[in-house]
Amino acid sequence: MKKTITIIGLILTFLIIYFLQANFFSWFTIAGVKPNLFIILVLFISLFVGMKYGIVFGLIFGLFLDIVIGKTIEINTIMLTVVAILGGYFEKNFSKDSKITIMLMVIGSTFIFEIGSYVFSIIMLNTNIEILSFIRIILIEVLYNAILTVILYPFIQIIGYKIEDIYKGQKILTRYF
Amino acid sequence: MYNKKKKQIVGIVISVIILIVIVIMSNIKIDNLSYVQSFANFFVMPVQNGLTYLKNWISGNNQFFTDVSKLREENENLKQENSKLEQDLREFEIIKSENETLKEYVNLKDKYTEYTTIPAYVINKDISNYNSCIVINVGSNDGIKAGMAVISDKGLVGQIISVTSNTAKVQTIVDTSSSISCTLTASRDTIIARGTLEANNRLTATYIPTEASIIEGDTIETSGLGGVYPKGVIVGTVTKVVNTKNIVDRYAHIKTAVDFSKIETVLVITQ
Repeated sequence: MKKTITIIGLILTFLIIYFLQANFFSWFTIAGVKPNLFIILVLFISLFVGMKYGIVFGLIFGLFLDIVIGKTIEINTIMLTVVAILGGYFEKNFSKDSKITIMLMVIGSTFIFEIGSYVFSIIMLNTNIEILSFIRIILIEVLYNAILTVILYPFIQIIGYKIEDIYKGQKILTRYF
Repeated sequence: MYNKKKKQIVGIVISVIILIVIVIMSNIKIDNLSYVQSFANFFVMPVQNGLTYLKNWISGNNQFFTDVSKLREENENLKQENSKLEQDLREFEIIKSENETLKEYVNLKDKYTEYTTIPAYVINKDISNYNSCIVINVGSNDGIKAGMAVISDKGLVGQIISVTSNTAKVQTIVDTSSSISCTLTASRDTIIARGTLEANNRLTATYIPTEASIIEGDTIETSGLGGVYPKGVIVGTVTKVVNTKNIVDRYAHIKTAVDFSKIETVLVITQ
């Protein structure tokens, strides 16, 4: 029951983020650059719920974004799945208790997501290559995501550990004792 | 424990403030100094008001405050009148906005009479920093097909790339993977205008013929080559010509005629 409620909660969070990205963040930008909260959400799922769930949610969310507003049904689907896999790797190798670590995870994931998305769009959509503009956008986006992580960190921590309890239960304890 | 929580809250508040400041600073124009003026006024005006009151009081001009009950009554009446006026103003704004939308439709229809068109509303915009697609509220049920050109009252918007029964996805001309064949209205030279990552209301003109004369202020329109966009639709105006060592590589910046951040209504050319 608790697991079902959590899944519904995560889907609702995704929808809220979608509407925020499409409306609020279309004008609340840093020098015209929007943040990408989907990366933070998928990373959060992968870290606290589990990599398998992260991959499934990443695939579904990415597919939804590609269908609704994307030009091809690959870029977001593949890259959000990659973020989920990265989340699984981070979960195994780093602690989630530190704000700095979570921030670095978000920064790393944002870099990989955006570079991957851009390379994909160059290959598949014949996008013009503009390295300097791309670097400017990616740096601002990384900064924006990092600031949002600092703001959201207490919620990520509280909700994250509650969800982790539901999904991983005692598993977490065996790792430390 | 309490201190830690307090620190966390302070941290969040500071981060939110920093974010808001960064967003505001990065989006205001330097020449727009009215914000600075308001900010200065915020500090200066209370002191200034206080000093004026003191001056009036000393010179015996403080009789405003003698009849307090009368003032209160008058204030109440004014408040009521104000709320009624505010309500009227709101109604007026709604009517005005409806009128503007209808006018936009009529203007659009009149301007492009030679084409068969279907009006549509923009219902969704892209969430990514690299692409620039919009979704409109007409689809295959209205006769919309992929490849149709989309225009607005100001000029060219883009082309339909995919259709569902009730919606259609439009790749705008400022999208980074869009390139259109255009003509300089004055000299009739043909150029290619491409979307750029640098700004969402700018195109880059490339493949400018070596003998072509292109200057700031030149109007650019579609050439009709390629079969997607009809001939003669306004694309934008040249804002800067960048000359390189090799004249073949020179390029120009084009400011789009359409403001893509404010676009609300469009026309799909069906024939």
